[in-house]
Amino acid sequence: MADAPEEPETPASNADPVTERALGVLETEHADSVVASEMTGAHPWIQVKAEGLADLMRTLRDHDDTQLDCCHLITGVDYPGKGKDVGEIEVLYHLCSYAKREDAAYFKRAEKNDPWVAIKVRVPRDAPNVPTVMEVWTGADWHERETYDLVGVRFTGRPDLRRILLPEDWPGHPLRKDWETPASYHGIPIIAPEDL
Amino acid sequence: MSDAGHTPGGGDVAERDVYTGAGEPAPSPSSVHERQELVGRDLRTEELVLNIGPQHPATHGVLRVVIKTDGEFVRELEPHVGNLHRCAEKIGESVPYYQWLPYVDRMDYLAAMCNEHVAAMAIEKLGGVEVPERAEYCRVIIAEVQRILSHLMAIGVYGLDLGAFTPFLHQFRERERGMDLLDHISGGRLLYHYIQIGGVKRDFSREWLDELDAWLASVERRLPEYNTLLLNNRVFQQRTAHIGLINEETAKRWGVTGPGLRAAGVDWDLRRDVPYSVYDRFEFEVPCGESGIAGELGDCFNRHWIRVREVEESLKIIRQALAQMPEGPTMAKMPKSFKAPKGEIYVRGENPRGELGVYIVSDGKPTAYRIRCRGPSFSNIAVITEVARGTMIADLVALIGSQDIVLGEVDR
Repeated sequence: MADAPEEPETPASNADPVTERALGVLETEHADSVVASEMTGAHPWIQVKAEGLADLMRTLRDHDDTQLDCCHLITGVDYPGKGKDVGEIEVLYHLCSYAKREDAAYFKRAEKNDPWVAIKVRVPRDAPNVPTVMEVWTGADWHERETYDLVGVRFTGRPDLRRILLPEDWPGHPLRKDWETPASYHGIPIIAPEDL
Repeated sequence: MSDAGHTPGGGDVAERDVYTGAGEPAPSPSSVHERQELVGRDLRTEELVLNIGPQHPATHGVLRVVIKTDGEFVRELEPHVGNLHRCAEKIGESVPYYQWLPYVDRMDYLAAMCNEHVAAMAIEKLGGVEVPERAEYCRVIIAEVQRILSHLMAIGVYGLDLGAFTPFLHQFRERERGMDLLDHISGGRLLYHYIQIGGVKRDFSREWLDELDAWLASVERRLPEYNTLLLNNRVFQQRTAHIGLINEETAKRWGVTGPGLRAAGVDWDLRRDVPYSVYDRFEFEVPCGESGIAGELGDCFNRHWIRVREVEESLKIIRQALAQMPEGPTMAKMPKSFKAPKGEIYVRGENPRGELGVYIVSDGKPTAYRIRCRGPSFSNIAVITEVARGTMIADLVALIGSQDIVLGEVDR
């Protein structure tokens, strides 16, 4: 391989270059929003505040250093708390850039080996309100609807937030950890996944 | 009739008309309401809501599309998905990793091997499992065979959508033999569970490799024939060229991936740009949209053409992989009860329809805490809400067909 001699210089810092760059942009443009970050390992991420999320995402999309022009996936993960703690719901945005496909530095391999950037938002479980990013990436529309449908995250500031996969009268949000499988739906018996 | 009568908006038309705007040309009857007033109450036109599917051959499965039409034109469109929802993510939280892998097959059932490949990679990366080199080659070969089969299906069925029945039947001959190949190696025709955590289920036998060689040769020989029937067919070109345009900006904004993205002119393929498995060891081209034979960037014709060229590239990859393939085991030593350490992972791979992403959160138990899958068809079908506006109903069928969606993956 032609690029073999270059390899020894990368492990100097184990940080993921793409996430590092995105963090750099956020710290200059939206310094108050960054809550926490993890730069190393197989899944680096940046956690930000829910307030002003759309502006922050627009910066990530438009800034010359990041140019994250594709919202690959939106995920909701439920972390219920114990006792009096209501717990939190985490919403994850996996973003990637096609504009940077010519940029060699962008493809410097860290452990993760894939140039996506993960942005996390944590909201309380009893008021899971996250601003929509639909106006930044239109494709977020269906992903947000699915996250609402299955995890019950309420995306604010967008039209038409309704279920997408499940029927409209389905009880609750099945990927919440405290969701209980009903015995039947309109007289149709349901087998709980645990009994499969 | 005078010569002036042929000019629109002038001559005898103006003489008959009640419009008396001093010297100004008559307004063009653009909107429905203006036309209504001009034509009179007897010939009133109104929007018609038309429901296509979910049981309709042109919607490729159980997709329901509700369109508002104005004559032959689509004014508004709303796809309704979810009819095939089988709780793949919920099941992923309920069964151990070993048992979840067969469910992955059922998402994109026309590319089950590719699904398994990406899902197995995600679990292996999370659990730190080293896959033997020979198994990686087996995976690439089998995933590329699956890609050819999936693209053959897409190409053939697209002809069927547009009224060309013959190419569909011809392509099914090659597809059948390819399915036999996968059947002989895995025991299943459509859903395989061949790629497993730590490697593949069994090694290729000599007879199977001979069978594969013969099949590759026949695909290569027949592909130009199919192109004569469809790609180079004048009628087909006129039905697809300049139809259903998804340009670069729209494709990125909606998260379109795979042939749809490349047809829009974005030169991006995970197999080359973010090589996983052993894809970095092969020479192949990434077909990108161009306006060569017919059409323009991002139209239905280009998406079809990209699939045809991707079949050729897959043939190249398989041949190189067969030549390079090392000897060795095809399965890593795996514990009876596999537990992934605490952590999270996001892995994506290039499926025939686009980028499949698998996100897993593990809390150290044999079962995942959360599994999330990004089906490429999900984003690829969402985009039609925007691009189908203003097309004709017949072109809508061409557009949906060219997106080559599998509803099993949209709904998961």
